[in-house]
Amino acid sequence: MEKVLITGIGSGPGRLLTERLRTRFEVLGVDRTPWEDHPAEVAVHVLDLRKKGFEDLLRTERPSHVVHMGFIRHFKGDPNRRHEINVRGTKQLLDHCHRYEVTNLVVMSSSYVYGAFPENPFYLDEDQPLSASRSYPEIRDLVEVDTMATGFLWRHPEIRTTVLRPVSVLGPNSRSMMAEYLRQERAPTVLGFDPMMQFLHEQDLTDAIAMTLEQDLAGVYNVVGAGQVPLHTAIEETGGVAWPIPEPLFRPGVRMLFGAGMAPWPPGAIDYLKYPVTLAGDALAQAIGFKALFGLEETFRSLRGRG
Amino acid sequence: MARKRGLFETFQERIGAVLPSALQEAQTRVDDRLAKIPTRLNEYGYDAFGLHPESSRRSLATSTLFYRHYFRTETFGIEKVPSGRVLLIANHAGQLPFDGMMLGVSMLLEAEPPRLVRGMGEYFIPQLPFLSWAAERGGNLVGTPENCVALLEADECVMVFPEGARGMNKTWDHRYELQRFGLGFMRLALQTETPIVPIGIVGSEEQQPGLMNLEGLAKRLGLPSLPVTATFPLLGPLGLLPLPVRYRIHFGEPLHFEGSGSEEDDVVQRKVNEVRAAIDGLLQEGREQRAGVFR
Repeated sequence: MEKVLITGIGSGPGRLLTERLRTRFEVLGVDRTPWEDHPAEVAVHVLDLRKKGFEDLLRTERPSHVVHMGFIRHFKGDPNRRHEINVRGTKQLLDHCHRYEVTNLVVMSSSYVYGAFPENPFYLDEDQPLSASRSYPEIRDLVEVDTMATGFLWRHPEIRTTVLRPVSVLGPNSRSMMAEYLRQERAPTVLGFDPMMQFLHEQDLTDAIAMTLEQDLAGVYNVVGAGQVPLHTAIEETGGVAWPIPEPLFRPGVRMLFGAGMAPWPPGAIDYLKYPVTLAGDALAQAIGFKALFGLEETFRSLRGRG
Repeated sequence: MARKRGLFETFQERIGAVLPSALQEAQTRVDDRLAKIPTRLNEYGYDAFGLHPESSRRSLATSTLFYRHYFRTETFGIEKVPSGRVLLIANHAGQLPFDGMMLGVSMLLEAEPPRLVRGMGEYFIPQLPFLSWAAERGGNLVGTPENCVALLEADECVMVFPEGARGMNKTWDHRYELQRFGLGFMRLALQTETPIVPIGIVGSEEQQPGLMNLEGLAKRLGLPSLPVTATFPLLGPLGLLPLPVRYRIHFGEPLHFEGSGSEEDDVVQRKVNEVRAAIDGLLQEGREQRAGVFR
């Protein structure tokens, strides 16, 4: 059986992917925090991608497939440390994949890398510039990771590398920025704005990753779900209440609260509540026949059963 | 968006209280026509580009009041607009885009079958609260080439004013003088093999006589332009109301152009000049035919 290594295996999406792949692959994983009740046949190593232990693991275990989804996406800690872990960790991982002859690599990016701008056309394809850092400097590490992985893809054609950029992932296990946002009882919105948004069920994302590995895909692909609705509809459908705030109050308010460690997101995130970042998903559909199985209603319902 | 919609609906109801029967009649007509448009809406009533008839039907009824009772619009040759993908290219004037609104309503009320015209808006519109929302729900998009191509490939009816603000904010002495046309629409038409219907709108050029345009100040304030008209800013917001001119919308024969869209500027320019000349002809004809600006 071929071996797949998953970084960030203890996260919601990591666990789902483990479940999906364990019949086909021997699964092993790393995470920075332990996964208490992991399946017995899955080896979970608690370590830092930047440290020697990770290289040792690749050298001894020699996985043929690697899925890199272990990133820090929240803003709770030191931003420099987050940047260092995400960017340096990815750099190390890419080097090791090359050295220890990994055949297939999937790097999880996201739709956020394109950036939310008023001039965004509908349905961005994969060739659009990654401009997120312009208005949202706090996630420039994620843009760098995407760019680094894309560069690796072209430099090492012998490794089947795929960069996936999914739209907002929802589901009971998802801790995506949008899932966390919609889990709030009162979701602050920008008064007078209601951008169209796309959503993807966590099971569909898991399928997309599995199909990518199974079909030896290489390239950069958006991953989209069953459709799009305005932000306020999504809030209503997931059982929340929208709380429209005039932008002249919202932005300084968030800046102040974030500075004091009392807001979960920096002010740059507000642009994603104002302008659409919708992606074209046809490239992945054509490449591996991926089609989201969960409709919008089911996807929203999956978040509603929240604790 | 419960609170916002509430406010909007209250406003609509107030108008309804003043003009009850006319508005109700307009609403019935708009709903009836909207029902005849084969739009591709998802389970939440939205199309792929944010169009939401349920949100826009009320503002369309208000526009219909303007169309019928304020501007008393007449159309000529609307049957020439072919089915399927099509670009409506018209002159732009009058400081505020009532011409786009009237052209949109004409295609909804008078064309058979009715069409929902998709407007290509200025880049600043998405930055304006409420307006960005209203524009998108009404089927309008930011005027990027990608958006225009996507709409045409979905066989939509797209309206473009190639003069842009140059036309809309020109001063009174330049009325009915077509300004420079951008070339972008022609490249997209060639690329997507879309027929072009030239349109001359008579009336909008007199609706809001522009005296001057304070471009320097506009730039400093971050506005696209700051026209001074006979009534604005003299009468305040009331001065934004256009004069009750009569609108006459003249549709020309559809023009088919061949090419790839990657030609040199002068090749594209020649094709654009043909469209411009056709619009100019329609405008002259329309002005000769009419008995007066307000009649």
